[in-house]
Amino acid sequence: MSLAQIFREHPNRRYIEYGGKGGLGKTTFSAATAYWLAKQGYRVLVFSVDPQASLSDIFEQDIFGKGAVEIIPGLFAQEIDADRHIKEYQDEIRQKIRDMYGLDEMPEEIEHYIQAAAAEPAMEESAIFDAVVDIVVGAEYDYYIYDLVPLGHALYYLSMASIYDEWIGKITSLREEMEEYAQVAAMLERKKETEEDQILTELQYIKERINTSSSILTDREKTAFFFVITPEEMIILDTLKAAELFAKYDVPISGYIVNRVIPPELAQQNIPAYLRNRIEMQEKYIGKIGDTFGDEVLASVQEFERDITGLEMIGKVADALFGGEA
Amino acid sequence: MSEEERQSLLKRWGRSAKEFLYGMAGHDMTRFALKTRGSMEHLFILITMGDLLGIPILPPYYSLRLLPYVVPQISTWKRRMLRERDLTDALA
Repeated sequence: MSLAQIFREHPNRRYIEYGGKGGLGKTTFSAATAYWLAKQGYRVLVFSVDPQASLSDIFEQDIFGKGAVEIIPGLFAQEIDADRHIKEYQDEIRQKIRDMYGLDEMPEEIEHYIQAAAAEPAMEESAIFDAVVDIVVGAEYDYYIYDLVPLGHALYYLSMASIYDEWIGKITSLREEMEEYAQVAAMLERKKETEEDQILTELQYIKERINTSSSILTDREKTAFFFVITPEEMIILDTLKAAELFAKYDVPISGYIVNRVIPPELAQQNIPAYLRNRIEMQEKYIGKIGDTFGDEVLASVQEFERDITGLEMIGKVADALFGGEA
Repeated sequence: MSEEERQSLLKRWGRSAKEFLYGMAGHDMTRFALKTRGSMEHLFILITMGDLLGIPILPPYYSLRLLPYVVPQISTWKRRMLRERDLTDALA
C-alpha cells in the first residue's frame, strides 16, 4: 500500500494529520501533501497548531497571524497567532461584562482575574484549540492538513479534548440540578417562569465546540493520521509507545512514513567510513521498521542534499512521498 | 353588605388562607430549595472560578467565557468561601 493509494481509496478522509517527534519532518510532509493535493485541483488548507510554527519558513513567506494565505492556486496555509487570539478574546469578555452591567470601567478584581487567566500556561493551547474549531467547522476546503505539534504536545492536545468534555459534562449536570431547585422554588412561590439559565447555555456551547473538534480528530471515516519516523532506534521505540497512547484516544493511525533515509546506493561509491557506518546502521533499523510496522509503512523519503524550503523542494518531497503519481 | 363586598371579602379570605397554608407548608420548602440552589451556585463558581481563590480547576480559557455571568456573585461568594466557620453555622 502506498500513500497515494490511501488517498485514492479513502476520499472521505479529509482531515490529514502528521505526528511524530520534533524535527522529523512533520511540517515538511504536511506542506508536501498540501502541495500534491492542490496540484490535483483540490482546495487545501494546511495549518499549524504549534505555537512555534514553521510553515512560514518552509513556504518562505510570512504568514503568521494573517489568516489563510494562498501560496499557489488551491493551496492555503495558516499559522494561528495565539497571542492575538487571546487578546481579542479577553476584550470580548470585558466588553460583555461592561454591556451586561452597564459599567464604564472593569471592577479591579475582575480585571485582575482576566489578566491572570491569560497568563496560565494552558491558555495558549486552549486558544489554538478553539481557533482550530473555527477553522474546521468552516468546511471551506476539500482537505484540512494539521501540522501537529511534537508527540507529547499532540497527546496533550488530544487528551485535553476528552478531559474538557468530561469536565464540562459534570458541571453541566450540576448546573441542570441547580436549575431544578430553582424551578421547584419558583413553582412553590407560584411564579410562572424561571429565567433561562444563560450559564447552562454557555456550557452547552463550549461542550459542543469541544466535541466537534475531538470527534474530527478521532473519526475513522474522515481522518487519517500518519506517523513520521526515521531509521533510528530511539525514534522507533518512542513511536511505538506513542502509537499505543494514540490508540487509547481512538486516533485512527493510517500508517507510517520513514524520513531521512540516506540513499543506500551511496555505499557503492567511494565514501568515507563514517558515512558507510551510518548507512549500515540505517539498514539495520530499516529492517527493524519493516518487522515492526510491516505493510503499514507507506513511503520512504530520502535525505535531501539541502534544506526543504521553497516550493521547488516541497515539490520534490511530494514526488518522493507519493511516488511521482498525479 | 352588598354582593360585591361579600365577593371581595371571600376573595381576601381565600388568598389569606392560601398564604397561610403556603407559610405552614410551602415556605420552608421554598427556602430550602433556594438555599440549596444558593449553595450549589457557590460550589459552581468555586469549580469554574476557583482561580480567584488560588485553586485552579477549570481550564481558564473556558472559565473566562462564564465570568460575565457570575460577576455580581463573586464578592459574596469569596466572602462565604473564606469566612471562618463556627457553631452557629451548623444551626443555620
